[in-house]
Amino acid sequence: MASSHSDSAKMEQIITEFFAKSLHIILESRSPCISSRNFSGEHIVSSPSSSSSSSSSVRPRDKWFNLALRECPEALENLDFWHQSNLEPMVVDVVLVKRVINWDPANFYPKAELFRNLSSKEVYSNCWNSDQEELGNGRSEKIIERWIVQYEARKAKDAGKGSKRSSSNVLSSIYKKSILLLRSLYLTVRLLPAYKIFRDLNLTGQIRSFSLAHRVSSFVEPFTRREEAEMQRFGFAPVDTSSGRLCLSVLYRSSLSDVSSEASTPMSPQLIPDYVGSPLADPLKRFPSLPVSRGSPSSLPFSRRHSWSFDHYRASPPSMTFSPSPTHSEPYASASNPSSSRFPPPGLPPHPPEVSHAHKYNANFDEYYPSPTFSPSPSPSPPIYVPGSRLSGALLRSESAPINIHATKFLNSPTFFKNQNLPPSPPLKGTRYGPSMADKSMYPSRDSATVDKMSFVGRDDIGRPSGLKIPSESSANISYSRSSCRSFPDDFDESEYTCAFDVDEDDVTDPGSRADLFDKRRHVHDPLQSGSFMPIRKSQGAAVGALVDMLKKAPPLHQDVSNLATASQASGSETWSNTFHEYCQTPKSISAQDGTSSVASSAFLASKTTADALEELKGYKEMKNLLLSQGGTSRSRSVTNHAAAVESADEGTVKF
Amino acid sequence: MNCEVCNLKELEVEHYEIREVLRCVLHTIIFHRALGLVRPKEIDLELFEITYVQCGDPEVEKKIEEKIEQFIGWVEKHPNKKSQICLSFYEVKNKHGSWFSKQIEQLHWEHWYINLNVAQQPKVQSVKSHNSKVVDTGENNLEDRSIRRAALEASLRDVLFQIIRFVNDKKEHVPPIPNREGVISFPYEIILPSSSDSAFGMDMIKRMLQTGHPTMLS
Repeated sequence: MASSHSDSAKMEQIITEFFAKSLHIILESRSPCISSRNFSGEHIVSSPSSSSSSSSSVRPRDKWFNLALRECPEALENLDFWHQSNLEPMVVDVVLVKRVINWDPANFYPKAELFRNLSSKEVYSNCWNSDQEELGNGRSEKIIERWIVQYEARKAKDAGKGSKRSSSNVLSSIYKKSILLLRSLYLTVRLLPAYKIFRDLNLTGQIRSFSLAHRVSSFVEPFTRREEAEMQRFGFAPVDTSSGRLCLSVLYRSSLSDVSSEASTPMSPQLIPDYVGSPLADPLKRFPSLPVSRGSPSSLPFSRRHSWSFDHYRASPPSMTFSPSPTHSEPYASASNPSSSRFPPPGLPPHPPEVSHAHKYNANFDEYYPSPTFSPSPSPSPPIYVPGSRLSGALLRSESAPINIHATKFLNSPTFFKNQNLPPSPPLKGTRYGPSMADKSMYPSRDSATVDKMSFVGRDDIGRPSGLKIPSESSANISYSRSSCRSFPDDFDESEYTCAFDVDEDDVTDPGSRADLFDKRRHVHDPLQSGSFMPIRKSQGAAVGALVDMLKKAPPLHQDVSNLATASQASGSETWSNTFHEYCQTPKSISAQDGTSSVASSAFLASKTTADALEELKGYKEMKNLLLSQGGTSRSRSVTNHAAAVESADEGTVKF
Repeated sequence: MNCEVCNLKELEVEHYEIREVLRCVLHTIIFHRALGLVRPKEIDLELFEITYVQCGDPEVEKKIEEKIEQFIGWVEKHPNKKSQICLSFYEVKNKHGSWFSKQIEQLHWEHWYINLNVAQQPKVQSVKSHNSKVVDTGENNLEDRSIRRAALEASLRDVLFQIIRFVNDKKEHVPPIPNREGVISFPYEIILPSSSDSAFGMDMIKRMLQTGHPTMLS
C-alpha cells in the first residue's frame, strides 16, 4: 500500500509538473522578451558541452520530462499565482493587444466613411469585432489562442483499470507519454500563427502597435459561437493515467493577417495638420459644468453660454474666442457616442485626441452633411446650413451672436410664434440644434452641423439661467421652435436651460415656457429633446435645413430684427439684438471669430442649393481647420478669406 | 511489439530545397524520439517561415547532414524519380543463438517514410516522367517558383502536423525509455532510396550485415 501511496503521490507530482511544464512551454513562446536566449534562429552550433554538460547545468525543474527550457520568469509567476489543484483546468489565453495610438486620424478617416449611411450603432459594430474588447485608452484585445490544460479525474470505480500492471511500469509509461506529449507541444507552439507574432515582437526593436499578453486562469468566459467559429482546435491525445487523464488542447485563430500587415508598418510620428490647441490653454474653451457624459454635447452649450453670453458678446465680439476645440469635440463626442469607450468624455475641453477631434469633427460633418433629412424640420431643409453647421462647433463659440440672430430670425417667423409662445429668439434655434446635435450621433443622417452650433450655444446657456444664446445658426430649424424647444425639455436642468429663443426671458430660464416650446414639437431627435442640450446629437444638417426653411419663409430680416428687439425682454436681449444688428450689418467685419458667424449667416441663405451648401460646408470645414491650426493671428486671415469666399457665394440677403 | 509505420505526405521539392526540407522533417521526427534530456534548439528555415526544433545533439545533426548529402547525390544520379527516405527506430535485442555467443537483432518498432518528389531542374528538359516538372521560360519562372514555394510551405506544415498527430496518437508501441545518458533514447537509422535497378541494394546488404548473421557473410 505504501507503494500505491507513493505511486499516487508520484502521479500527483507528475501531473503538477505537467501543468508547470506546459505553461512554461506556452509562455516561453508567447511572452515576448522573456527569454534570455537568442531567438534569431541562426544555426547555433551546439557545442558538445551543451548536451554533455547539460546535466550539470540543468535546473532541477528542467529534468522534468527531459525537457530543459529557457528561463521563463513569467511562467513561474503565473504558475505561482494560478496554482490550483490539479483538478482545476489551467487556461492560458494568449491575447493580441492592439494599440490605437494618438487617435491616429488615418484610423478614423476610413471610419468616417462608414458613418455616412449608417447609424452610429452600425458603424461601430462594423468597426469593432464583438470579441474585441475595446478599452477606453484606445486598446483592443483579441484572444488569439486559448490553451487548456486539465486533468480529468476518472471516477473511482474506473480507477482500477490499470491496476494489473505494475505501478512502476504504469508510472513509467505515463511519464513517457507525458514526455511525448510535451515534445509535441513544444513543436506545436512554434507552428501556430501566434508564434510569428511572438517572433516579430521579440526580434525587432520597432515600436509596434500590437503586443502579446497572456492570462492564466482556471475559469474563463467561453467564446461566443461566432468567436469559436473563427478558431480552430487542435487537441493532443490525452495521457491516460490510473485515475484520470491529462488533456491538452488549443483553440487558435488560424488567420492573423491583419496583425502581420501591421507588423511591417512601424509607428512613425505624424504631423497633425489640424491640431487644435489644448482647451486648457483657453479658458473659454472649457466647459466646466458639463454633466452630460460622453457624447453629450450638452457640455458644449454650457461653455457656450459663457462665451455666448450677451455680456460677452456685447463687450467684445472678438473676445469670443473661437475655440474650435469644444466644437470639434462636441460633434466628435456626439458622433462617437456609440463608441464612447474610444473617445474621451465629451467634456470638450480635453483634447487628448485633438487631432482626432478635428478629424472627427470633420467626419461628423461629413457624416451629416449629405443627409437630406433634417429631421428637426418638418420640411426638408436644404443643406444650406450644412456648411455653416460644419463650422458650427467652431463658430458657435465665437459667433454666438450671429447665431442667435439667426435663431431669432427664425423664431420670429410668424409661423413659429403662432405655434408656440416662444418668443422669436434665435436661441431657440440654438437649442434646436443642440438636440439635433445630440441626435447626430444617433442619427447620422441628421444635420449634425446645425446641431453642433445650436448645441454649443445652447450649452453655454444651459449652464446658467441666462437667456439661451443658442446660436442661431442652427438656423435651419425653422420648425425649431416647436421641435427644438421640444428637444430641450428635461435633461438639462430646466432652470438652466435657457431657450435661446426665449428672448423675453433672455437670461431667465423659463422652464415652463421652454417646456412648452419643447413639448410642442417633439422632434424626432427625441433623445436630444430631453432637455439636454445634447445639441450635438441633433443632426446639423437637419437643423440647417430647418433654418434655411425658416429663412425662406421668414419675413425680411430687418423686420425680424426689430421684432426680435422688441420681443426681447431680458436685459441681455437688447444687447443681443444689438449684436444681431451688428451682425446683420457687418457680416464681413466679423473678425477672427466672427468670420464663422458670417459664414454661418451666409449659410442661411435659403436660396442656396444643396450643392452650394455642400460647397460652403466644405469651405467652412476648411476654414475651421485653418482656424484651429493656425491660431488667433492667422485666424483672421483665413477667416477673412473664407468669409470672403462665402460672401461671394452669398446672395447677400443674410445679414445677421 | 508492433511496428508502426507512418507514410508522410509527399512533398514536391526543388533541388535547392531538399536540404532544408529534409532537415526539418528528420529533426522533427527525431526530436520526438529523443526522449533523453534535451535542450531544444530552434532553427528557422531560410526558405520558409517555419521554425523547427532540433534535439540539440551534435551527433544527430552530423548524421542527418551526412544522409542528406548522400541523398542529394543520389537525386542527381537519379533524376525524375520519386524518392523515399526511411527513418527507422529500432531496438537492439540480444538474441542468444544456440551455438553463437550473441546475436544482435534489430527490432524496428517504427518506420517513417518521407516521400519526396524532386522537381526537375530548370536546365534539364525532360518529359519522360510524369514526375518531371518542366520549368517554363524565365518569365513565369519566378511566379511559378513562388507559387510552388508557398505550396511547399503549406505541405511542409501539413507534414509537421502529421508527425505531431502520429506521435500523439500512437504511443503504446514506443519502447520504454532506457535508463541511460544522452539525448537519443532509441537507435535509429536513415535509409536512403536505393537504385531501382538493384534488387537488393546496398541498404539491404548493410542490414543483413548489421543483423550479424554469419551465414550471410559469405
